[in-house]
Amino acid sequence: MSETVKQVFRVTIQASLQEVWETLIKEGEPLPFFFGSVLHTPGLQPGAPIRMRTPSNKYTGVVGEVLDFEPPHRYSHTFKFTNLDDPLCKVTYELKEVADGVEFTLIAEEVPRGTKTEKQMSQGGKIITTTLKTLVETGKPTFTARMIMTIGGLTEWATPAKCLSSNWPMDKQLT
Amino acid sequence: MKPASMDAVFQALASTSRRRILDIVLGMPGCSVNDVCKYFDTSRIAVMKHLRVLERADLIISRKDGRTRELYFNAVPIQLIYDRWTTEYSALWASHVTDIKFKSETKKSKKKRPS
Repeated sequence: MSETVKQVFRVTIQASLQEVWETLIKEGEPLPFFFGSVLHTPGLQPGAPIRMRTPSNKYTGVVGEVLDFEPPHRYSHTFKFTNLDDPLCKVTYELKEVADGVEFTLIAEEVPRGTKTEKQMSQGGKIITTTLKTLVETGKPTFTARMIMTIGGLTEWATPAKCLSSNWPMDKQLT
Repeated sequence: MKPASMDAVFQALASTSRRRILDIVLGMPGCSVNDVCKYFDTSRIAVMKHLRVLERADLIISRKDGRTRELYFNAVPIQLIYDRWTTEYSALWASHVTDIKFKSETKKSKKKRPS
């Protein structure tokens, strides 16, 4: 059995390709499908760092580096939860036009088997996919996502110190 | 979720063999059709037929990797159904109820027989 796992999440979103793409890569505002975190990057292009930070900017939950950026069809980056010591994995978003909208696929690869990253990714993948669909189609996130955002806001004080944004500057080399 | 997509999911899940296929693929992400066939005494054609029903419901995703086909379990349609019937209150109470069920059932199975 291999040391890493690949996970795939797919949904059809009844909207235009452009709408889904623009929602996915929105900067500077809390993204409900990414658990209310805000995307920070000097500019999405291969090699550029990305940081998913809390709206207060104090904490950084996810860090990575852009691998592929081909609007409006494909975007992939390395991925690491800052609260865990697991190695980097890879996340890819694929958008494809189909008869009744856009087929959105989220692929998580090289996820270390049996780790907390694997568990969080399999929970998170489902929520990211369904929330993105509901948000684009109705303008409102799902109940599950709203609850996670509320709890996240209330428990920010309990976030471990290693997630402090000061530990994850843009130029930090990720391993 | 469109009514037709929801029908497809419930139809796909309403079969012991297809639920078994989901368990197999969930435990072996990226496995091939041949890997799944090893678990069944039925013909490959019968397994392929079940896989097509699961794929139509989006519960199984098949991706081409070079010359082979990899199968993955997609939990998203089930999550959509969960979200469709779950509101703020029912989520809280339903999870309490399932907790009680699981906890008491585990206790019962651990309980020693009276001498």
